[in-house]
Amino acid sequence: MRLAGFGTRMAMGRGRTALGYLFAAPLLFVLAIAILLPAGYNTVVAFFRYNATRDTWRYTGFDNFTALFESDAFWNSFAVTLIWVTGNVALQLVVGFWVALALNRIVRFRGAFSAVLLIPWVSSFVVVAVLFLWIYHPQLGVLNDLLLKLGLVQKPVAWLSSPELAQLSLVLANSWKFFPLVMITLFTGLQDVPGEVLEAAEIDGAGRFQTLVRIVVPLLAPSIATAVLLSTIWGYNSFTLPIIMTAGGPLGSTEIMGLYIYKLAFDAFDFGGAAAASLVLFVQILVVVALYLRFADRELAPSA
Amino acid sequence: MRQGPRNAPALTAAAYLFLAAASAVVAFPYLWMVATSIKPIEEFFTYPLQWLPARPTLRHYLAVLEDTRFLRALLNSAIVSTVVTAISLLLSVPAAYGLVRLAGTRGRPMLIAILSAQFFPPMIFFIPFYILLAEVKLLNTLTGLVFAYLSVTLPICTWMVATSLRALPRELEEAARIDGCSDVQIIWRIVLPIASPGIVTAGIFAFVLAWQEYIFALLYTTTPAAQTAPVLMFYYLGQHQIDYGRMMAAAVLLSLPIALPFAIIQRHYRQGRNEGGVKG
Repeated sequence: MRLAGFGTRMAMGRGRTALGYLFAAPLLFVLAIAILLPAGYNTVVAFFRYNATRDTWRYTGFDNFTALFESDAFWNSFAVTLIWVTGNVALQLVVGFWVALALNRIVRFRGAFSAVLLIPWVSSFVVVAVLFLWIYHPQLGVLNDLLLKLGLVQKPVAWLSSPELAQLSLVLANSWKFFPLVMITLFTGLQDVPGEVLEAAEIDGAGRFQTLVRIVVPLLAPSIATAVLLSTIWGYNSFTLPIIMTAGGPLGSTEIMGLYIYKLAFDAFDFGGAAAASLVLFVQILVVVALYLRFADRELAPSA
Repeated sequence: MRQGPRNAPALTAAAYLFLAAASAVVAFPYLWMVATSIKPIEEFFTYPLQWLPARPTLRHYLAVLEDTRFLRALLNSAIVSTVVTAISLLLSVPAAYGLVRLAGTRGRPMLIAILSAQFFPPMIFFIPFYILLAEVKLLNTLTGLVFAYLSVTLPICTWMVATSLRALPRELEEAARIDGCSDVQIIWRIVLPIASPGIVTAGIFAFVLAWQEYIFALLYTTTPAAQTAPVLMFYYLGQHQIDYGRMMAAAVLLSLPIALPFAIIQRHYRQGRNEGGVKG
């Protein structure tokens, strides 16, 4: 085994590396045009001011950024995004964790349950958005009908049109779509927790809750971190669900950064401002990605 | 069976109950979608609300299928998704092979760089794609959309194929080489057949991503000639009175082409070998 590995190392000289990169050249070329070029261009645009009526560009240094940081709408969307991401991550983590535990507990029908529970994750955003728009409909929606029939509410709830509830309603719909990602990540992690560890803890007289908190959660920590980071990134990148369901309203209460940037760009034609805002969003995500890569790298260390 | 020794039937029963409840919460909106799509519009307004249609009808489906704009949009979606899938695989399979099997550890930094592109927020592309596509006259074209979608599918596909190639024992290649196989023969006869499940999964992933993509399609297409089905759904929404029956019928039709591929890849998910790109 050692020898084979050694031989492979020898075979992987500079020539093979060069050949490998040659195989990758077409991909790298397209990625350069489709990702690096626009990303760089976006960074440049952030330092220019676009005049939509004259179709001219003017270099303005950091003006776009200063304008952002002095804008109430920007800070509103900044705060809304924080609440949005936190709410989504928390809800998905709690639900995903318990579902993963339950899945790990059972033997029969495990495949059937996980197949059903995964469906929202592969459903299209637009379908989920219009579906929940219809479910939340104040007069004709099935959710209000259900709550009224059960006597939980006295009159129809305005899920999406009240500033207090709109964010919550969106978080519920979005988490419904995304919890399977957390579920499957944690379930995968749970399968690496040896059953003997759990049994030993129980024999030692540890209570079930204690076992969970003291043993299962620490062992699952890498998976939990991965799940949290992934759902954080997806939270920051959100766009489709909010734009279809509330378009940022009412009163900006659901205007996450993605929508704010979209409106700056395509309603106000403030291309420079929108580019600057997207960079601010990007920096927030970069921090998260840096964390993610640390964990992903550990998990994905080459086994060969 | 690790569950065996841990005897706590009550806990197991609770797990089943919880999963049944969670499955109900997941399944209910889809059932409601289908029920609405076959319900005559008069029954939307009955009080108390009738959950199941008393007189089921296919009227909404016919309305959608008679709408030439919708059919055109479905065709556009199919074309874009197919082309994106083909290009994604053509580029990512050789690249993954080169970086994983040929460059080995030296290919790893590049793979990580490619993977991290997966997490670029779409918002940083809003404006540059718009300006660049306008510059080369590709706004409102399917070609422009294909280009934009590749920025999403390429990193994911490369990572997924790379993951499946990494699992391939190197001894197989060595043995074939000793038997006198050329590099090309090794790739065709040994590497590709063994890596094919991973490649198929990556292809399905690319197709599904392109099929349901919404943001770029919304920003870069305004004419029916290039609009995809998800964007057309959005235009249904913009109408004065939203016709939810037609909307749900369209949603069902839009979901169908994803259902079959999903049935294939969900096994991949359940194996729990969802590394890196698959999670995204």
